[in-house]
Amino acid sequence: MKFNFFHLMPYPTLPDDFDERFESPSLTYPRGQFDPAVGTEVYNRYLDELEYADQLGYDGICVNEHHQSAYGMMPSPNIMAAALARRTKQARIMVLGNAIGLHQYPMRVAEEIAMLDHLSNGRVVSGFVRGIGWEYFNHGVNPTHSRERFNEAHDLIIKAWTELEPFEWWGKHYEYRYVNVWPRTVQQPHPPIYVPGAGSTETMKWCAEKRYTFMSVYAPKQLVKRWFDGYRGACGDLDYQPDPEKMAFAVPIYLAETHEQAHREAKQHVNMLYDKMLRQGLQIVNPPGYVSESSLRGMLGGGAASFMSMRYEDRVEHGMALVGSPESVTEQLAQLQDLLGFGQVMGLMCIADTPHHRVVRSMELFAKEVMPHFRSVTPEPVGAAA
Amino acid sequence: MSTGASAPVQVRTERLVVGEGEVRLLRAGSGPPLLFLHPAGGGGWMPFLDGLSSRFDVLAPDHPGFDESATNPEVEGVDDLVYHYLRLLDQLGIETATVVGASLGGWIAAELAVHSPHRVDKLVLLSPAGLRIPEAPPADLFAAPPERIPELLFHDPSIAAGLMPDEPSLDDIIHIFHNQTAFARYAWRPFMNNPKLERRLYRVGAPTLVVWPDDDRVIPRAHAERYVERIAGARLEVIAGCGHALYGEKPEEITSAVLAFAAGADGGAR
Repeated sequence: MKFNFFHLMPYPTLPDDFDERFESPSLTYPRGQFDPAVGTEVYNRYLDELEYADQLGYDGICVNEHHQSAYGMMPSPNIMAAALARRTKQARIMVLGNAIGLHQYPMRVAEEIAMLDHLSNGRVVSGFVRGIGWEYFNHGVNPTHSRERFNEAHDLIIKAWTELEPFEWWGKHYEYRYVNVWPRTVQQPHPPIYVPGAGSTETMKWCAEKRYTFMSVYAPKQLVKRWFDGYRGACGDLDYQPDPEKMAFAVPIYLAETHEQAHREAKQHVNMLYDKMLRQGLQIVNPPGYVSESSLRGMLGGGAASFMSMRYEDRVEHGMALVGSPESVTEQLAQLQDLLGFGQVMGLMCIADTPHHRVVRSMELFAKEVMPHFRSVTPEPVGAAA
Repeated sequence: MSTGASAPVQVRTERLVVGEGEVRLLRAGSGPPLLFLHPAGGGGWMPFLDGLSSRFDVLAPDHPGFDESATNPEVEGVDDLVYHYLRLLDQLGIETATVVGASLGGWIAAELAVHSPHRVDKLVLLSPAGLRIPEAPPADLFAAPPERIPELLFHDPSIAAGLMPDEPSLDDIIHIFHNQTAFARYAWRPFMNNPKLERRLYRVGAPTLVVWPDDDRVIPRAHAERYVERIAGARLEVIAGCGHALYGEKPEEITSAVLAFAAGADGGAR
């Protein structure tokens, strides 16, 4: 099993009357709420945490892209990856990912990832995402074009990384007369690609066809099981079994010396993540055309929206946060692995407003007392013939 | 008043293929053709059209991607919709028509009259979208939470209660999402406008009526006024105590206004 330390870089505080005054920490949450002094402090603190994860032996350190939001403050994940590239040695630098559905110039992503591959000496992982629904509002990009833009930008970037001669690109959304990206990537033919899925069967099939790593997003374990089963099924339809490492389970993780202490402390952070940081109306998350009608039907019918209003205890019960002592978290993780069959964990340890010393404690306890239990175990593929 | 209780209007459903997509066309009445272009809320037959069918052959198609008209890969923007409707008129053998459009439909109607002035007998724009007025932009219906929609559309939001389901079913939600997806396809960006439309409005030759409800919380009055300013001879009529829902809120007033202009003498004959 591979263990990756994932950061959202949240803005660490929200006003006490946030619930009454604001619909969401995203899109319309006023930038006047951002204190520049706090910003400087936490950007550097968060980079320290990512660097420390490398020293503790995490396999990957992960950054991602969000815009105009207190939920995550990395409008350019590639800048953060660049800051990490020369200060870390072992961990893979995972950009999860660039929101290529939003970008006007996907060529820029091809160029920056190629540069990062050099700065990190071939350690970069290139995630591609469509961008969250509300990011289509603040980019002025038509959400009904989201999937076709994502697909076209992806095809263009892959070709830009693999073709050795200049070529022309006559797409619907992008047109270039000269594509000839310098530098070439260190990893050949190109860095590994990771893509998140949240229930779309189209995405599962696409990842299976391309043999890309399929990541879950925060959701109850039964829902994640459906997604991973869907991905495995799509691989099966293509007559192969995916390596468990092709499935990456994203989950908030919180550890303390004892089970009781961990829960006592984690509750406010986990609830802040789900109740406040992810607070957003359906019309903002799913603008028209952003998902297919069948996907929306599945989401609304399948209760994906209702997890937003769960109690803390239910969130823990449903595997939406791993909280406890090292023994307890080891046990919970082993059970989830049995259920879901993943081979990578994307652990979010800076959960919303978790202070630095608590993040560091979770990181250390997890690295020293949880990870070793899984290092020697090669999981059996779920659903393998008996 | 021709909207009174006479025999119920017989609405016929026609399905025709226009280019790459099937269109549902609802049709009633007899007389010269009147093409009704529906707003972003959706198509279908609206009760206010009953009154118009007493004097006109009323044609009410669903725009591609709305309600029962298929999404058409060839129709991606309002410019494509103009060609779509010219093609539809051609297929039906209609040389000229009175064109009535509401909101999104008003925008399409204006573009049609700019593109092919000779195909439009009279033009009626009901709180039309389409112009770029940065100091008075339309409300963002895409970002509005569902519970705010009635107060945005109606002067008296209690009227909405009778027209919209209280507790929408999953099917209702999917249907709304379906129509909004078509709306977004045509109007997300530029947001409900064509920056070049205003300077082209001089081409409109038809007698034109612009109707603006005096409590329109979606499209500010500046839009109606700008249309009137730029279209030679256009007249503005303000409906009192009415929101952007127009005929959803004051069906009889809207029917009368359209009928008096389109069928009456004050619009002038061509």
